[in-house]
Amino acid sequence: MSFDPALSPYLAVVLLGFLPSEVWRWLSVLVAHRIDEDSEIFRFVRSVATALLVGVVLKIVATPARELAAVPIWARGGALLFAGAAFFAFRRSVFAAILAGEAVIVAGAWWWGR
Amino acid sequence: MSTGALARAADMPPDAAMLATALIWAGPGQVLFFGALAAKTAPAAIAVAVSLSSVRLLPMCLSVLPMLRGEKTRRITLLFAAHFIAVTVWAESLRRLPELEKAQRMPFFFGFALTCLGLTTLTSGLGYWLTAAVPAPVAGGLMMLSPFYFLAATARAARDGSDWLAIGAGAALAPLTQIFVGGGFDLMILALVGGGGAWLAGFYARKVAA
Repeated sequence: MSFDPALSPYLAVVLLGFLPSEVWRWLSVLVAHRIDEDSEIFRFVRSVATALLVGVVLKIVATPARELAAVPIWARGGALLFAGAAFFAFRRSVFAAILAGEAVIVAGAWWWGR
Repeated sequence: MSTGALARAADMPPDAAMLATALIWAGPGQVLFFGALAAKTAPAAIAVAVSLSSVRLLPMCLSVLPMLRGEKTRRITLLFAAHFIAVTVWAESLRRLPELEKAQRMPFFFGFALTCLGLTTLTSGLGYWLTAAVPAPVAGGLMMLSPFYFLAATARAARDGSDWLAIGAGAALAPLTQIFVGGGFDLMILALVGGGGAWLAGFYARKVAA
């Protein structure tokens, strides 16, 4: 594909964001029968999507933009570790993970930010 | 709100952030879209990545739409209804729709779904504006809100070993693909190798167990 998302942000939203995800919703209207969510193809897609999400979060952390770039790398990495630790310490609490991660990011930026 | 912050980090205009929230709607898809854009991922790879993360919408829609469908429901109405299905509307629909009479389901669904989507679209714009207005440390925190949330939610939803393996493989491969895979396709390789490997391991484990 030879177009630059930066030049046409709205087109990028429609072509690279809206259509690729909407197509599955449309498909659901067309297929009448139920599908097996535990079929191997769904398991495969689930695994790939999981790795993808972890990958993109690490990318946001590793190659940060704007204000996040001012947070030192050890604080960004530490925030992830802290969030993970809080997640397990509080019996898989999503809330605890966010709170712990955010605390490290904001504190890191506040005292050691550039 | 955090998607607005991520959109700003990807150098997108604020109205494009709101458009993305209204059109993509599913949270992980938006984080992927803006995260991949900011990381200068190849356009084709962004589209594939967003699409892969949205396959799960298919079974979600399939569990809700039959409850909305009446004798005279037109297909276009269902297509429109399907757009609003992402995790929040899906969970709430599964909870509330069964106890409603068939005729009341569609109005309830659209009322709830439109409110959710409308409010979230507004907060997406608000997040964009806030990130620019608050002190830098808070802005950095705003940018990480969605990533932390979806990471934790993914871990929370992990059901078996191969889910955890996919999470671990994604994390382990991230620095490697960052260094060795160029051209904006590193995320794609990471997902296919890491996620594919995790699935394969689970596949063989199930075979051995069976």
